[in-house]
Amino acid sequence: MKDVEFDAVVIGSGASGGAVAYTLCKAGYKVAVLEKGRLIRREAFSKDEIAYCRRDIVTPNLFEEYHVIEERVDGKWEATPSYESGWSFWNGNIVGGSSNFMSGMFHRMHPDDFRLKSKYGPIEGANVVDWPISYGDLEPYYAKVETLVGISGRFQAHPFEPPRSTPDFPQPPTKENAVVKLLDKSCQALGITPLVTPRGVLSQDKGHRNACYYSNFCGSYGCSSGAKSSARESLLIPALATGNLTLMSNTHVKQLHSDSKTHVSHAVAVDTVTGKERTIRARLFVVAAQAHESARLLLNSANRFHPDGLANSSGEVGKNLIFSGGGSGQGELHEDSLREISFKELMQTGYFVNRSILDWYFIDDWWEGKFKGGSVEFMFEHQNIISRAVKSRYGKERLLWGDALADRLTERFTKQKTVRFEIFNDWLPNDNCFVSLDPTHKDRYGMPVGRLRIEGHPQDVKVGSYIAKKCEKVLEKMGAKHIYSSVSATPPQNLVAGGCRFGNDPKTSVLDKQCRAHDVDNLYVADASFMPTGGSVAYTWTIYANALRVADHIVEVLKKGEV
Amino acid sequence: MRVERRAFLSAAGMVGAALCLPQRSDAAAKPDKALEEAVTVIAAVQRHMFPKGGRLPDAETMRMTRFLTETVSHPTYDRDIRVFVIEGAKELMLREKGKLLGYDRDAMEKALRRYETTDYGSNWLSRIMILSLEAMLGDPVYGSNVGEAGWRAVHSFGGQPRPKTRYIQL
Repeated sequence: MKDVEFDAVVIGSGASGGAVAYTLCKAGYKVAVLEKGRLIRREAFSKDEIAYCRRDIVTPNLFEEYHVIEERVDGKWEATPSYESGWSFWNGNIVGGSSNFMSGMFHRMHPDDFRLKSKYGPIEGANVVDWPISYGDLEPYYAKVETLVGISGRFQAHPFEPPRSTPDFPQPPTKENAVVKLLDKSCQALGITPLVTPRGVLSQDKGHRNACYYSNFCGSYGCSSGAKSSARESLLIPALATGNLTLMSNTHVKQLHSDSKTHVSHAVAVDTVTGKERTIRARLFVVAAQAHESARLLLNSANRFHPDGLANSSGEVGKNLIFSGGGSGQGELHEDSLREISFKELMQTGYFVNRSILDWYFIDDWWEGKFKGGSVEFMFEHQNIISRAVKSRYGKERLLWGDALADRLTERFTKQKTVRFEIFNDWLPNDNCFVSLDPTHKDRYGMPVGRLRIEGHPQDVKVGSYIAKKCEKVLEKMGAKHIYSSVSATPPQNLVAGGCRFGNDPKTSVLDKQCRAHDVDNLYVADASFMPTGGSVAYTWTIYANALRVADHIVEVLKKGEV
Repeated sequence: MRVERRAFLSAAGMVGAALCLPQRSDAAAKPDKALEEAVTVIAAVQRHMFPKGGRLPDAETMRMTRFLTETVSHPTYDRDIRVFVIEGAKELMLREKGKLLGYDRDAMEKALRRYETTDYGSNWLSRIMILSLEAMLGDPVYGSNVGEAGWRAVHSFGGQPRPKTRYIQL
């Protein structure tokens, strides 16, 4: 390819990279999106459990690409490469990123999430700060995501439901399994208000995308109708249609080169198939490589102008990495004790449970006191066949085989269905949760891999445990058996944020409120890295909304010729 | 979290040649011949776990051994698990003093349950079961789950669209 200069280079093609690329391309700017993964087109996706859920086809092979995770064990920090533990934070490394594989449970953050410190005061051991923008600044973009990216749902007034500028969602909710009758009735009996889950899945056709066909295998799989609101379907395909987007898959950026204290001149990229290195020039660079990798890229871009890492005069790059606190639980609805609905209705495949609970978003408990809580999603256990069978392979203390295994599988697959809940609460930012460069391990391009030190705050587990008990009561009321929950300080693999906080003070934050690096005029970080706190919902809607907001600002900067 | 994927490589409970597991690079170098030797043991174990005349499709009809062999010998498969599959079979054979393949059903049951009392044997049997369940319940494109018999046995079927090629060809 001839060496051209783009208006903007976007590193990463997930929710945030897609949103920036879409906006800039629509505004007439020439954009290159550099994605280290490959392109899988809609028609190539299938519901192949072995491929998508049991092998590394959409994430790197951990022997070839890994990071190091550091945990406190018996009071000492122990570092383990992810090829050794099997535990990594890679997610959907293909064009469109992890948005291809999400379940699409979308919620806006609450206005108080933007002013957590002011509202609740400091928490010892946690680096909680207010955001430099308010909910009002982001609301128009939350609304834009509903129509542009596509969110189905039905607005229901609730004390903790954030205010909205439009009356309702642009599409009605996706179809629901009859179990919601039982769930709703059980919640109501307990004085709990179940809400219809807004979902990044289309219930009706939209442009080149077809409505959901209820495959029964949604989360962890690419969507074959285009209904799932991935960055690939909703943003990159329209961006490509403008003729302004150059999409470079299999292109890993190892470094950003700065030629002065305030200017990045080019990206140093490697073709992951041929190993060939090239430079890609642009007026402006947008990093959107997923939180821990965005920070690693900046740290790996140190040079004489930025000796501690690009845009790191504050020393804050990589600090205050956050995840989602909380946990999950489940209970089994059995044929012989089912109420309200028929077993046949329960076993109907494909339809969603589609219920969320926000009642405990802010908690005022007569015994526990007042504190920030979280949200809850209800769903069926993932319907993957192999994984359900694998989970059933043990009897009491020993492996089952032969007819004993047959009996267990028959019971598991035909006599009951498992309902799960997932809790999302704040992962409080703290000094022991950050990403840095590993001093010894290097990737196959010779660059230090990320070293993620991970420790949660005790408050995270306290909140998750409080909510889990409430959810267990819901399952009990539903008549579920074998109820249990698990809340721990172990972070989920797919919800990573922070590491390049935005803020008004260049001494304590990496980015300004427009997510432009304080130190570098033509450098933005548009992914979830900017988040100083994460709210108590899944991040995706906020990532899309903020990236659209940042992109509007970038368009103005480009128009004015400021870079 | 400390979930050590390779914890099962611990030599605890091992009695024989597999006491000194080869290093990853050595073991990964020539796995195919070693795998061939282990296959007869693995096939016998799979036949016991999924016997003919049982209420689940049997190992032979479902071509479980072929699935396992193709899976673990592919270059993209976890090299440590491949070595573990091979060494675990050798270890079982050694523990049974080379007589395993001649056992009737009762003797085989006792041998496998004995093996299961060790951490190493328990982990190995579990791995063989996981690979067998993948064969029985994976998409027929992988050459097993013949006629979707596995899916029919559990009254659950893979979603649409079904894969047209195996994952490595994507």
